[in-house]
Amino acid sequence: MALKDMRVFIVDDYNTMLRILRNLLRQLDINNVDEATNGDTAYQMLQRTPPDLIISDWNMQPVTGLDLLKKVRSDAKLKHIPFIMVTAESKTENVVAAKQAGVSNYIVKPFNAETLRAKIASVCPAMV
Amino acid sequence: MTIPIVPTSQLVSAHGYLDRVIEELRVLESPQKNTLVNVLQYLSDHIRITRDEIGALRTGGANPQMFSTTADELEEIVTETARAANRIMDAAEAIEQAAAEAPAPLATKLTDAVTNIYEASAFQDITGQRITKIVRALQSLESKLNSLVCAFGPLAEGESAQGRDGDEALLNGPQLEKNASSQTDIDALFDSL
Repeated sequence: MALKDMRVFIVDDYNTMLRILRNLLRQLDINNVDEATNGDTAYQMLQRTPPDLIISDWNMQPVTGLDLLKKVRSDAKLKHIPFIMVTAESKTENVVAAKQAGVSNYIVKPFNAETLRAKIASVCPAMV
Repeated sequence: MTIPIVPTSQLVSAHGYLDRVIEELRVLESPQKNTLVNVLQYLSDHIRITRDEIGALRTGGANPQMFSTTADELEEIVTETARAANRIMDAAEAIEQAAAEAPAPLATKLTDAVTNIYEASAFQDITGQRITKIVRALQSLESKLNSLVCAFGPLAEGESAQGRDGDEALLNGPQLEKNASSQTDIDALFDSL
């Protein structure tokens, strides 16, 4: 599968960040992008249509990105999907907690387009 | 001597109770009473001074809405910067569309510039999170100060313990730049786990 056929789901409670992600993904030729502004809505949408990749913020209420990650990893239908956390939470304990919960990779905000491309390539090597 | 115990956590009531104890001790004829009375009087005086100082907060011109007004203004900054960031994005997207029709060398330059704009626009997310942290701190401070001024008693049991645990303790928002981990640091840590 090529990047242009890839289905990506992005989650962030800041609409501006969703827009940034969508634009940067488009520049990577990824146009098939769904989005949600909180973890709860995201999980419902993910269950309906599982994507090829999930990119999520951490700091959201009431369902955080870490909560969403745990839900995804405990859902038989979704647990195989690569999950990239994109967050300003950059303490060691955050990365450890995310890794223990099964995150596929971790991007610290602010990030650049090349970092996003590299992380997508690392978790979806067959598509890049 | 039997002194009724008044069960209250309010400093104002406790102070009245202390003064009543002092008065009852004064009429006793015990030779040891003076030391105890002096100590209690010392405590009573200090409570009175504290009450006066807190009372001055109520009547001394301090604006009780100061914190919420400041919080509102900070939230307005978040709204305004979001609006500005979206306008920047509108313009960048228009440039990107125009770049698609431009000759190759120019199109590449324009697209690279637009990418930089997208990356830089993330400032709104970072500043928004920092300001939200400040707003929460202000709201917490306001709540504690109001409790002190209005109830004039000690903090309720457990109120001073704002410790968070579990996953909630991991939500700290952006770190200050001098303390922040770089993407390289994160990658190294991630790979080491």
